[in-house]
Order: sequence, then C-alpha cells, then structure tokens
Amino acid sequence: MSTATREAAGPGGARRPRIRRASWRGVVTVAGHEFRLRVRTGRWRWLLGAWFAVLLAFTALLRWALAETRPTPVTGPVPGPGAADVPPPAPLGTPMLGGLMLFVLGLALLVVPALTAQSVNGDRERGVLATLQVTLLTPAEIALGKLLAAWLTALVFLATTLPLVVWVMVEGGVGIARVVVTLLVVALLLGVMCAVAQCLSALLARTTTSAVLSYLTVFAATVGTVVVFALALPLTTTTEQVTERVPVWDDPPPGEAPGGPADRHAPPPHPPGQGEPDRWETRTYERSQVRPERVWWLLAPNPFVILADAAPAAEPRFDPRTGERLSNPLDPLGEIATAVRDARASEDPQAVPGIVPSGPEQPEPPRPDPVWPYGLAFDVLLAAGAIALTIRRLRTPVRSLPRGVRIA
Amino acid sequence: MGETAVPAAPEASPAAGEGISAAHVRRTFGNVVAVDDMGLTAPAGQVTALVGPNGSGKTTLLLVLATLLVPDAGEIRVAGHDPVREPREVRSRIGWMPDAFGTYDTLTPREVLQFVAAAYRLPRDRHAARARELLALVHLEDLADRPVHVLSRGQKQRLGLARALVHDPGVLLLDEPAAGLDPRSRIELRGILRDLAADGRALLVSSHVLAELEEIADRAVFVDGGRTVDEHDLTELRPTQRRPWRLRSLDQESLLSRLDGLGVTVTGQPGPAGVDVMLAGDEEAADLVAALVRDGVRVVECAPAAGTLEAAYLEMTEGRR
Ligand SMILES: Nc1ncnc2c1ncn2[C@@H]1O[C@H](COP(=O)(O)OP(=O)(O)O)[C@@H](O)[C@H]1O
Ligand SMILES: [Mg+2]
Repeated sequence: MSTATREAAGPGGARRPRIRRASWRGVVTVAGHEFRLRVRTGRWRWLLGAWFAVLLAFTALLRWALAETRPTPVTGPVPGPGAADVPPPAPLGTPMLGGLMLFVLGLALLVVPALTAQSVNGDRERGVLATLQVTLLTPAEIALGKLLAAWLTALVFLATTLPLVVWVMVEGGVGIARVVVTLLVVALLLGVMCAVAQCLSALLARTTTSAVLSYLTVFAATVGTVVVFALALPLTTTTEQVTERVPVWDDPPPGEAPGGPADRHAPPPHPPGQGEPDRWETRTYERSQVRPERVWWLLAPNPFVILADAAPAAEPRFDPRTGERLSNPLDPLGEIATAVRDARASEDPQAVPGIVPSGPEQPEPPRPDPVWPYGLAFDVLLAAGAIALTIRRLRTPVRSLPRGVRIA
Repeated sequence: MGETAVPAAPEASPAAGEGISAAHVRRTFGNVVAVDDMGLTAPAGQVTALVGPNGSGKTTLLLVLATLLVPDAGEIRVAGHDPVREPREVRSRIGWMPDAFGTYDTLTPREVLQFVAAAYRLPRDRHAARARELLALVHLEDLADRPVHVLSRGQKQRLGLARALVHDPGVLLLDEPAAGLDPRSRIELRGILRDLAADGRALLVSSHVLAELEEIADRAVFVDGGRTVDEHDLTELRPTQRRPWRLRSLDQESLLSRLDGLGVTVTGQPGPAGVDVMLAGDEEAADLVAALVRDGVRVVECAPAAGTLEAAYLEMTEGRR
C-alpha cells in the first residue's frame, strides 16, 4: 500500500492538509468489516445457488448444442482405407470456454452494480458513514477497504464457476494458459466495474440514481461501444483516386483458340512471367472505402472485446496421421479477437481486397497487433480515476455538500 | 505509517485542561445559514449543555467541532488542535455521538465495538478487552452477542455512547444523548456522564429538553437562530437565580394569608401541589421559610419549582421578546 502523503494543498483548500495515506491494516479492517456486513445481510446461499444453476444450465445446453452441430463421421470410424479421410472431431472445450466466459462476464456485469452501487451513499443514508469518518481511518482506507470487499464478493461469484471451467477443460481443446488468462481478465474487469460503481455511489446522493447510472455504465461499455463504433464507421469513409497500371495484350497470343473472351483486359492466359504484355495502360478511378483503423479504439474498452482478445489464441491442430493443419473449431473468443484486430490493422493498403497477393504458397500472415492492451489500460486507468474520486469524496471535513445531503 | 498512540486504558487520564473553545463560528449550506455566529467554551472536567430550540444549529456546530464540516469562519480549538487543519489530531482525542446514527444492524454490539477499536487503531490485543469494558460500562453485557437490531432505541443509544468512548477521548461531543431514553436509563446516563467529567474530560451535550440537562450540566450555552445568546455557569447562577419556588403547608389558607401579609406575590393558581412564589435566590427562600415558621405556618415543603436551566432559558427568551 502506498504511504505517500501529500501535504500540499490544491487551490481552494489552501489550509487543509491532504492525507492520501492508506495503511494495509486500515484497508483490511474496513474490508473485513464490510465483507462481514455483506455476508450477514444478503441471502447469499440462494443467490450463489441461483447463479451456479443458471451457469450450469447454460454450459450443459451449450455442450449439447455444440455436440449436435459438430461435423462427425456419419457411420463412425470404419476400419479400412476410408478411415484416414475423416479428421478427428474438433474438441468441444474451445467453443465451450469462450461461450461460458463471455456469459459469465455478461452476467457478472449485471451483478456487480447491485453489489456496489450503494456502497457510499447507502452508508450515508443509514447514518453509518460519518461515524467511520471521525475515526482514525483515512479516506483512502475507507474507499479501498470497501472496494476490496465488493471485489471479493464479485470474485466469490466468479469462483463458483470454477467447477464448470474444470468441466470445460475436461472436454479438451483448451490450454491452461487460456483458462488462467480469461479468468484473470474477468476478475480484473469485475474490479474495474466495482470501482466505477463505488465512485458513482460516492458522487451521487441517492442510491437509486447511482444504481441506475451504474447499469447505464455497464450498458455503455458493452453495447454502447459497439453501437458507437458502428455509427462512426460510415463517417470514416474516404474517397481516393487510384491509379493503376494495367498490362494490355493487343492480340490473342498464339495457340489460343480464336473466338475466346473478347475482353482485352483479361489477364494473360498463360502463367505470369511468360509472355510480355504489349503495353501498359494507366487507369484512374475513385474508390471509397471505410477506414475502421481510425475508430477501432472505440471498441477497445468493451469488456467482451478485452476478454476475447486477451485470451491466447487457440493452438493450431494438426491431423495426427497426415500432419496436415486442421481448421480450428468454432471459437467465439478467437472470432471476436480476429474481428477487432482486423479492424485495427486494416490501414495497410495491401489489405484492400483484390490487391492482396494470394496463393497457396503464401505464408500465413502473422496475427495482427492486439487491441486488448489499450482497452485494458483504459479500463484500469478509469478504475484508478474512479478510486481517486471516491477518496476525494470521502475526505472530511467537507466544505461543500451536495444539495439535500446531510453528512450526518 | 504514522499511527497515533491512543491512550486505551480507562485509567489513563485524558489530557486535562484542554476542552473546547470556539468563537464566531459560521456555517452556511447554500443560502441556509445554519450557524450564524456561535461561540462557546467547554472546559475540561465539566459538562457543558448546548441548549436551543430545534433548528437552532446545535447539530451543525457539533459537526464542525467533530471535524466533519469546514466552518465558513471562526476560531476553533478542540482538545488543543484545529479541527480543520489537524483533523487527525482532533479525531484521536474526541468522541462523537451523533443525534441520529445508524448502526450495523446485523452485527452484535461486541463486534461493533471491536471494529471501532480497530478503526481507532488500538493495539490488536486490546480490542476484545476494550469492548468488554465498555459493554459493562453501558450495561449491555446481556445483549453483547445478540444482533444490534434487537436492541431498543435506548439500548442503541447506550451502544452509541460506548462507541464514542472506545479510544478514551478527552473531549466528548454528544448530540441529544438522552433522546428516547426511559427514566431509568436517563439516570444511568447521568451517572456515566458525571463520572466521565470527573475524570477530567470535557463534555459538550446538546439538547432541547431542559429537564434532561438540569442535573448534569455545570455550564449552559444557549443558542437560537444560529447564534449564541447566553452563556452561564450554573453553579454560580443557582444560588442567586430568580425563579419560582413552591411552598406547601398543612393549612393552605393560613399560608396564603401569611404570604399576603409578608408582601410576597403568588404566581399562578394555588393548587393541591402547593403555592408558587417568585424568589430571587436561595437567601430569599431561606428568609421566607424562617418568617413563615416564626408566624406559625406549618411549612412542609419549599423547593425550586423550575430548574435552573429552565429559569435561565425563560429569562433569556423573555429578555429577547
Ligand atoms: N446539510 C444541510 N443542508 C441544508 N440545510 C441544512 C443542512 N444541515 C442543516 N441545515 C439547516 O440548518 C439549520 C440548523 O440545523 P441543525 O444544526 O440540525 O439544528 P439543531 O440540531 O439545533 O436542531 C436547520 O434549519 C437545517 O434545516
Ligand atoms: Mg440536532
């Protein structure tokens, strides 16, 4: 814990020492107290039970649906030469992990505001905040302790999903790194949401207002970013003059059957490199194009995007008999990641469809640069700002109170 | 981190001689002037009553003294420190009991007190012992391990007082501590507060019920409309104060005729409880009793009919009218 103390005062508070310190012991005191209060008040057994039941049902249905739609050999493995043609079935773990973690994140983002959005103003309404503020606990200790308790509560929900994650791993196709990273990212994102909801509860006088705003924040981060991205995309359209040099052959090359396609601009029928074109023509046309690389960052803070993109790529599968690379199974995380990475990477003019040189001997292009570091950094900074604001709001003695608020 | 060593043992005497002094305190909320110009002194070893009607700014003044609100203006020292510039110093030396306070309903009184002990950074091995001492002090041992929500209002009030005493503060700010207490608890509270003052602590107790403060206050500060209107030392005031006295004798007729003969005016209607007369202090009362007895009136009772505080308050409001 930081023990930095800033004695300097900002404008307006020139007489007031600013104590920013927080001791680990103070934070733990508040967190333990808050956690005990939470455990005593809620109907946790029911809530956690319902939570687990919903996720269990989801996972079971997902597995059933995936097993139904998985392409499998019609008659099962047949001994003989034909058996080698049937690749081994794709493991179900890859799509299951993606589906489960996205679902858990979505559900948890609905639970967190309910856990945290009344943390500060609810205490003030109940008349217990001021009695905390007159003790030797610092504002930072109160804010961080409360946040820790809220986060721990959210993590208890996350921990309840661990049996399902084990099930997914048993299904195969997911490495331990993928599981650990996704769980860590979800945990971190829940912490961010806790910090933001707690900040709203410190800023707003009414508990209902802060709860509603917390849900709106979740909505903005999840749906709002996608909508804004979609709306911003047409605005990025650029029109450019494209000048191309095109090879022209005046006469059909010898040996071609006459009466072939009359298009003079048709590519040469012989393989490239054979037969020089007669001349080159310059053609200019306008091409309009959306430029997602200018607005990809709108998607970056989206928690689902961060989760999907931060997950390590599924490992390539090879046919054990032929050594040939097999197509990866359906992977929701990988698909989201590819979509946002492509959006970010599309500025390369080579990537414009039709000009990309392609061929079987082309090496697989490297995975484009990731998006998640930006999104996660943004979200973590947001949380840090939220915590700082909460601490500010908990500082006493106070000069100005929001209208209609009594400190005690 | 710099932990302030807080004297935790009840026998450790708090810093004596450092009570509260405040002058020209002002605090507004938008265009509402809650405290206009208040000043008071609450010396150590005494109970100072902060008396005033509802809405006169008592709670706001206590919030300023308790390091929760910044005053717009004013000179304040609480336990030798400035609550605005040195809130931590002040906090380690004051106990504050708000008028309307919430409790953690699902915790037990013991858990509440142990948490507060941790919040005041008492040494960890002292938490349990301190909670036990305080539960004994406010007579909540029987309920120590029941959830707080089963406590009555008066019992919660006592828990609130115990919470304010956890770190053995030298200055106590109590906002309407007797509100909701039954007569028995009120008498007990009186005993506790007198003991705390006898230890050398400064107590500032607000109330709008004068009878509540009558027996415990050494001093009284009257406030109205956000201003201090009067400040009295009650021990000095008592013997010379002009207030109604009640006389009762075996024969009311002879008492009334004798009073008439002595030229003493009777206030109000004489009733079975006795006859009220206005007297200027203890001397006059003693003289009157002597005269009545000498003239053969069989006096059975002669006592102040109104408390010192009430009389002072009435006099003050009369003077302002
Ligand atoms: N936070 C606040 N915002 C606006 N007005 C307030 C606030 N706190 C107190 N007041 C007003 O200040 C006045 C004094 O209130 P208070 O100090 O609670 O009086 P008392 O405790 O003597 O009854 C009242 O008129 C009250 O409405
Ligand atoms: Mg009040």
